[in-house]
Amino acid sequence: MKEKLWEALKEVLDPEYPVSVVDLGLVRGVDYEDSRARVFLTFTSLGCPCTEIIKEDIRSRLLKVEGVETVEIEEVFEPWSAEDISPRGRMILLQLGVT
Amino acid sequence: MLERIRSGKLIEGPEYATERYLEGLKRTLIVSADTELISAPAYFRAAQDAPNINAYISATGIIQDELGHAHIAYRLLRDLGVDTDALVFERDPKDFKHPYAFDVPLETWTELVVANAFYDRAGFVLLGDVYRHTSYAPWKRALVKVDREENFHLRHGERWMEILAQDPDKKSELQRAVDWMFVLTLEWFGLPDSLKRHTDQIAYGLKGLTNDQLRQEWMKTAVPLCERLGLRVPAHYEPDLGQYVIDVPFPAEFDAERKQWLFEKGPITWDQVLARWKARGPANEELVKAIQRGYEQIRKSLEA
Repeated sequence: MKEKLWEALKEVLDPEYPVSVVDLGLVRGVDYEDSRARVFLTFTSLGCPCTEIIKEDIRSRLLKVEGVETVEIEEVFEPWSAEDISPRGRMILLQLGVT
Repeated sequence: MLERIRSGKLIEGPEYATERYLEGLKRTLIVSADTELISAPAYFRAAQDAPNINAYISATGIIQDELGHAHIAYRLLRDLGVDTDALVFERDPKDFKHPYAFDVPLETWTELVVANAFYDRAGFVLLGDVYRHTSYAPWKRALVKVDREENFHLRHGERWMEILAQDPDKKSELQRAVDWMFVLTLEWFGLPDSLKRHTDQIAYGLKGLTNDQLRQEWMKTAVPLCERLGLRVPAHYEPDLGQYVIDVPFPAEFDAERKQWLFEKGPITWDQVLARWKARGPANEELVKAIQRGYEQIRKSLEA
């Protein structure tokens, strides 16, 4: 099930760039128990203007996964850095001219 | 050069363009730069009314983006030899080229989010068209970032309109904002094609669609959004014509102080609209001065 959740999260894109929250390195872990999905999430900065939209997108995507009835998002303030972006994410950003 | 543009080749810099092309490009860039710039103080004023800290952070994030977009357009102008310091800090407020809509003050959170959904959508439609069709390569590259960010602004506006539409009191406030801002955004796209000047903008590859086509593009997404939220808009889709039709006199007289359209007086001429635009609206001076204040203070202290 955790695998399924990760796959679904790969479809949740950053509100500005077509890079998933997984490739951006924002998802720090997932958990599943009794039809309840939990996502441990960090943001690129404490003052990220997109937090609400990102959480909403994650919630609505995971609710579409069979077996998920509730979604809990726990914000973990583990500092994020550009190092956390996956090679795939880096490639997409590079193609868009972001270095 | 026109031959080059028609074959889809891009202009890499001013040294490859004619004087006439550069004049058209500068005019288009100034409108874009001024619009992005003035949206910042206009939005900031309304952001003070944010309902919570997260909402306030989102709004200031948007304002920061807008300043970044303005910076990109002014930077391109500077590369074309324009004195951008004079343009931003020394120009008379009335000479700024942003749409009249920004001269009507945004005073509440509700008005701010409708501005995100309407005005940023207009910006997205216009700049998306420029991105797809511009023959000026440096601008095309810069717009990749701009378009992505405008998309976030739009979603912010839509999301908050959805939240506010669920509360009956807020919904009527939302309807009032839609009532004056919808038609003001229709005006944003400029004169109808039958009266439009600057027709070489399309030949020169500075934009792809005409004013009326762009207005339709905007209505294509703005009208369904409002209909979905149960908000009335003075436009509807006409299947026989395959396009949106405006249901009120357009253009019409606008009472900027009361933020009200005087549709009962019937349509007015575009010359009258141009006169209103030229005279600018109630917030024009305040917003431009908010941008120019610091520069003025530093200049004075240096002179002292």
